Amino acid sequence: MKILVCIKQVPDMESKFKIADNATWYDSGELAWRMNEYDEYAVEQGVQLKTQVADADLTVLCIGPQRVQETMKKALAMGCDRGVHIEDAESFKKDPFEIASMIAEFAKEKSFDMIFTGMQSQDRGSAQVGLMVAELLDIPSISTVVDFAFDAGKVTAKRELEGGIKAKVSCTAPALITCQLGLNTPRYPTLPNIMKAKRKELLSLPAADLLKVERKQETAKIYFPEKKGGGLVLEGAAGDLADQLIKILKENTGVLA
Amino acid sequence: MAERIFKGGEFLVTEVTCDEIFTPEEFTDEQKQIAETTEQFVENEIVPHLDEIEAQNFDLVIEAFKKCGDLGLLMMDTPEAYGGMELDKVTSMLVAEKIAPAGGFSVAYAAHTGIGTLPLVYYGTEAQKEQYLPKLVSGEWAAAYCLTEPGSGSDALGARATAILSEDGKQYILNGTKQFITNGSFAKLFIVFAKIDKELFTAFLIEKDFAGLVIGPEEKKMGIKGSSTTQVILDNCKVPVENLLGEAGKGHKIAFNVLNVGRFKLGACVTGAAKQATLVGVKYANERKQFNQPISSFGAIQEKIADLTADTFAAESLVYRLAGLLDTKLATIDREIDNYYVEYQKGIEEYATECAISKVFCSEVLARVVDEVVQIHGGYGYVSEYPAERFYRDERINRIYEGTNEINRLLIPGMILKKSLKGELPLQAEAMKAFESLMTPSFEELDDSIHFAAEKALLKNLKTLFLILAGTAVQKYMTKLADEQEILMAAADIAIQIFALESAVLRADKACRSANEKKKALLEAVVKVFAFSATEIAGTAAKKGAFYVEEGDQLLMVLSGVRRFAKYDATGLLQAKRLLASTVCEEEKYLF
Ligand SMILES: Cc1cc2nc3c(=O)[nH]c(=O)nc-3n(C[C@H](O)[C@H](O)[C@H](O)COP(=O)(O)OP(=O)(O)OC[C@H]3O[C@@H](n4cnc5c(N)ncnc54)[C@H](O)[C@@H]3O)c2cc1C
Repeated sequence: MKILVCIKQVPDMESKFKIADNATWYDSGELAWRMNEYDEYAVEQGVQLKTQVADADLTVLCIGPQRVQETMKKALAMGCDRGVHIEDAESFKKDPFEIASMIAEFAKEKSFDMIFTGMQSQDRGSAQVGLMVAELLDIPSISTVVDFAFDAGKVTAKRELEGGIKAKVSCTAPALITCQLGLNTPRYPTLPNIMKAKRKELLSLPAADLLKVERKQETAKIYFPEKKGGGLVLEGAAGDLADQLIKILKENTGVLA
Repeated sequence: MAERIFKGGEFLVTEVTCDEIFTPEEFTDEQKQIAETTEQFVENEIVPHLDEIEAQNFDLVIEAFKKCGDLGLLMMDTPEAYGGMELDKVTSMLVAEKIAPAGGFSVAYAAHTGIGTLPLVYYGTEAQKEQYLPKLVSGEWAAAYCLTEPGSGSDALGARATAILSEDGKQYILNGTKQFITNGSFAKLFIVFAKIDKELFTAFLIEKDFAGLVIGPEEKKMGIKGSSTTQVILDNCKVPVENLLGEAGKGHKIAFNVLNVGRFKLGACVTGAAKQATLVGVKYANERKQFNQPISSFGAIQEKIADLTADTFAAESLVYRLAGLLDTKLATIDREIDNYYVEYQKGIEEYATECAISKVFCSEVLARVVDEVVQIHGGYGYVSEYPAERFYRDERINRIYEGTNEINRLLIPGMILKKSLKGELPLQAEAMKAFESLMTPSFEELDDSIHFAAEKALLKNLKTLFLILAGTAVQKYMTKLADEQEILMAAADIAIQIFALESAVLRADKACRSANEKKKALLEAVVKVFAFSATEIAGTAAKKGAFYVEEGDQLLMVLSGVRRFAKYDATGLLQAKRLLASTVCEEEKYLF
């Protein structure tokens, strides 16, 4: 059985984000990087499936600059067998369709039986890439999965719907699953596995070899939500408070005019 | 990695360049990953239970050891043949640093993996290693190291515990009391030092179930309450002769060599704690408002944050430089040779001075950090609802165990002088040169094209100053210098500041090569802040030393040397502090 997991490297979400000069993405200069949280569930599910079915080969794929290899090594240490790094220093400029097309281009003749991706990325959050990969490969996909079972080529999954409702969905492999948080408990890579991962194959492919489509959307601008003014707590005796209030209303609003 | 193999203490008499030291910027992907696994382990498995662990629910600690074992966090220093991985010291320090936020558990962990496991790795026979190491590596058993006694702490060799061979020659019978034993209440393996026939200082491997091993009640401590500390009483304890560790009469080697590693690891661990505590202080300073503004906007608070950041940067630079020194040295030893661990021990012992420096400097950095973090919290730093109070209590022990900071300070000049007497360090010749430079005026101009030229010149000068002081002291007291502790303390302080400052400057120098403008400005600021404080501390120590040793004209001459060599132009110091503080406050993270 051949399994593919697609992961993305994203900034640590506790970072202080700054908008880059061209205002279409964030400034990536000073950030610490980690694996997109949703993708950790995807890797874990891939590893669990590999353990369940005998004779499986698990590939992890990541698009991005050189630094994403660090994150890929984590996936290898968690249990993926090999890595494919699609080297692209400007992957952040590509729209979800371009990204999905590159993945599909790579995967099309490799006949993966199962593909796992995160439900969305923590930084762009389009939630499109996984589903588009499935469409481009012409295989079924199930999104926002919180429970996954595989038996003799048949996938049974639970999807998370709004308001805590779940849906039970099934399809046959080959298929693609986008993973929601809570699908499983991603393992931490153990020290021996971290060291073993060093010896696993990590293939690099130039993005240009796989990019054969044109973008379908453009980011015009990204910006922080406008700050709402904070509340004001007045202190003092009652009479004093009333005076203060009147003063503020007079100075800052038209209600007493 | 640095290829030049330095001698221990050599930094005092030679110039070192940034390409010759290891810096945290050079961690491999694997090392970073191991750090991340450690952080996640602490965050998910320890921190949620910290209150219970603090309340001495040691079942949780035993449980945590097993989880550590599953993740491989106990494998670091054990060879593969016994279930370990024998990773480099850089990795081992990184894990020690990242385990620090686990409070009392970090102490249990450090004792187990350090002084508890290493004696067996270094000195155990095949059979002993096969029998015990896999259990220690998997976390099934916790280990304890029993050296201290009620009557002998710093004077460890003054131990009174005895061992007598039984008549049938099959067992040793041990008697005595061991004091303040970390992991005492739940350890399954005890490494115990006792004197055979009241003479031969020797180490033994004692299982918890051996007849005659009695565990005392839990000590009521000021801090690190989440760790167990008990007496271990040997009441006619029967130990099979096979469980003698190393050689009879060679226990002191085991005791001291293992402490070298312990001291060095303690440096890493307290550096991790310093980072954590500073961050807690910074976040609090950003949230707490007085006079309608966050207290982090006040210069008085900012200065603290800048100073703590600079101190921590120096501690971190020092620890990993030392890790690099050890790794480079140890890598030259052929693993296949029979006496691998004998050579390995020698490799570590070579840097005993630097290990002692790491222990003293880093533990004192943490002391300043937790003190100021309480201060930043004001009254809330004094109540146990906030973590600052625990940080403050937990810190104190670090200046006491693994050799008190006094004992470690005494070791620093002591070992350097010993090396010089053995001809391993050209201390005398260099001291002569230093004296000569005292008589000749200097017209040297700073070369502005060199990055950190002022700090590099300062380092050269501080080394000269150390040599002048050490030289005059040796001349005056000769072999009796060991009795002049006040002078040795002063000399130690200069050496400590030199090593710390050099580590910080060279690291910043190296890091600047690949840093953007913003990072460069921060690196320059942190170096300036630390260089100023290191100069002041070293200068005061040197002045004090001069008054202790010299009088009359000779005194005046040495004092003029202090004025000349402990001099640093810290123009822009205030701006440097403000830049550091405002950046730390804005980003709420350790900057380097
Ligand atoms: C919580 C805790 C955990 C510990 N864990 C362990 C453990 O796991 N295993 C273990 O074996 N020990 C352990 N210890 C013991 C610890 O290492 C000793 O307490 C320490 O070495 C100091 O010894 P002491 O307490 O007897 O103090 P003393 O040696 O009596 O020292 C008292 C003071 O005198 C100073 N002093 C002593 N001798 C000299 C000298 N020659 N010159 C100048 N000053 C001197 C000291 O610096 C100190 O300030 C632990 C202690 C504590 C509190």
